[in-house]
Amino acid sequence: MPISAVVDFPVRPEARPYLDAFARRLSDEPKWLGARRRRGLARFAEQGFPNRRSEAWRYIDLRALEEKPMLPAGVASTLANAATDDRLAEVAFAEAAYRLVLVDGRFAPELSAVEGLPAEVWLGGTARTIAERPDLVRSAIETSLFDAERPFAALNAAFFGDGFVLDIPPAVALDRPIGIVHLASGGTGGSLHTRSLVAAGAGSSASILETFVGDGSYWRNDVVELRLAAGAEISRVALVEEAAEALHIGELLALLGPASRLTSLVLLLGGRTVRHEATVRSDGEGTQCALRGAFVLSGHQEANIVTTVDHAAPAGETREVFKGVAAGRAHGAFQGRITVRPGAQKVDAHQLSQNLVLSPRAAIDTKPELEIYADDVKCSHGAAVGDLDEAALFYMRTRGIGREEARQMLIEAFVREVIEPLGPALLREHLLSRLACRLAMLEK
Amino acid sequence: MTGAVPMLKISNLHARLADGREILRGIDLLVNAGEVHAIMGPNGSGKSTLAAVLTGREGYEVSDGTVTYLGRDLLAMSADERAREGLFLAFQYPVEIPGVNNMYFLRTAINAQRRHRGEPELDAGQFLRAVRAKLKLLDIGEDLLQRAVNVGFSGGEKKRNEIFQMAMLEPRLAILDETDSGLDIDALRLVARGVNGQRAQDRAIVMITHYQRLLGYVEPDRVHVLQDGHIVESGDKDLAVELERRGYGLVGNAA
Repeated sequence: MPISAVVDFPVRPEARPYLDAFARRLSDEPKWLGARRRRGLARFAEQGFPNRRSEAWRYIDLRALEEKPMLPAGVASTLANAATDDRLAEVAFAEAAYRLVLVDGRFAPELSAVEGLPAEVWLGGTARTIAERPDLVRSAIETSLFDAERPFAALNAAFFGDGFVLDIPPAVALDRPIGIVHLASGGTGGSLHTRSLVAAGAGSSASILETFVGDGSYWRNDVVELRLAAGAEISRVALVEEAAEALHIGELLALLGPASRLTSLVLLLGGRTVRHEATVRSDGEGTQCALRGAFVLSGHQEANIVTTVDHAAPAGETREVFKGVAAGRAHGAFQGRITVRPGAQKVDAHQLSQNLVLSPRAAIDTKPELEIYADDVKCSHGAAVGDLDEAALFYMRTRGIGREEARQMLIEAFVREVIEPLGPALLREHLLSRLACRLAMLEK
Repeated sequence: MTGAVPMLKISNLHARLADGREILRGIDLLVNAGEVHAIMGPNGSGKSTLAAVLTGREGYEVSDGTVTYLGRDLLAMSADERAREGLFLAFQYPVEIPGVNNMYFLRTAINAQRRHRGEPELDAGQFLRAVRAKLKLLDIGEDLLQRAVNVGFSGGEKKRNEIFQMAMLEPRLAILDETDSGLDIDALRLVARGVNGQRAQDRAIVMITHYQRLLGYVEPDRVHVLQDGHIVESGDKDLAVELERRGYGLVGNAA
């Protein structure tokens, strides 16, 4: 008898197949993890998939998920083959000092290169970290703040198979970027649940590029948590270039300690339906949080960028710049909330959402929300939706630049503004070249 | 030898706005290689519309007449095709293009034109050498080239940047639309020096201007007065001086 028949919590109908799949899992995991997974499963079973009635999900169509379950993929063969090698060569950031590759949601050591890290730094797959260094992950996994109101994160807790863990002790600076590649081989057809954790010790620093690519039809459900201790500095880039039929749900949670600095850059370039949500809690005084991102959509693509920055401590600074580009019949949305809690004085927050709608059937929604409960703060936002500047196009054409090339230059200039402030230079160049590839495929 | 073919031949050109208002009402003009022409006229006479129609700006309808450029039907070409064929417009109000680096912009333009002519594209090094040679002419600092096109430029910098682009693109026919407007005397001298440096046997320049001011520095071979959408008077450089003295109001009566 399947477990769903006997559980002691309410179960939404669309959650039943997932409960059954959970019951079929074979696992020799530690008990604490099993308990944690069951809690996540129960949360998901009660909530089911979010729908448009929920404010945070109103701009995305997830009916396909409700209609047809996409159960967690089994452990596929992660052996490298020529196709994965080619894919990696195409998308991987060659200059990454350290590379960790996950194939179908599982750490693939033979494709990874994590040697040469300072001895005190830990970088490894989540599953292996749980087995070998549970001290690094147990409390973060057990106490994650993700589940409440977050059915995908709850489901992720129940099913995640792997991910990566980066643990940097205090005062260690990694001077070259870490490249994480999430590769879907196209062989599974189900859902890929990955959970990752970055713990940055006081005064440490690192730069991380996560690339999401794949072939075929799949649903990726990725969760990453960043914990920045006092004065830590983390830059995290999510480059989403999923397969044309893929569904990608990405969640980032960041906890900012005093005077820590977070840079998050999200580039949503590929995938049928893509959503990235960043939730930042500024718990320490004097944090600096830079959230930037863009989506470039065409055809029937759909993408949402959602951000929530919660200033719970004084003197924090937030800078948000998000750009949207939609062509064809694509639909994009940006939802950005900034909350300043009572007592969080001297917070300085600014949010900008600029959007280009390139065809009459494309659409972009933008929804800024400021919730301010302190009186001595500076908070502002701006939002715009429009078309390319005709005067600029004509000017460029009078110099001999063809209409299409001129359009492309203007779109690229529009998006690159979110990439340009990023260091290091080689990483920036890599992202700009991925953007150029994407724009070259944008329909006229 | 192309000497026999005029650079620009405008015959009976009529053009109107989308709302039906006719702005150009039968313009005839002949410009040969090596010549500098000035088209003068009061506000609203159709000067800027003429520049717009010649360079292919959208929003105007040519209802009658022809324009040939080096023997070809100019009006049949798109705006960018005209530019690649050697037509250049210095804008009255140069457009700001945020995010597009001035150097990158110019190199893209030059290479689009070189491709069109079947010439190899310039690499970054070759381009930079070409740029440096021309920068001095207009007293433009290299820092200006590292900025986004026209963004944050002063009025004078914008106009100098236009003439600098002209120097880099080496057009056959350049139309300067109110290039003197908004310039102080020093900037005017620099711009004039830039334009004079580009007078050549195989190039023609058409200056569209309200005032005689620029013509004191760039001496035209021919001066035309445009009024109510057609040319009411043509003459040599002395006509410009005379206009300055008697004003446009009397031209109609004299004609």
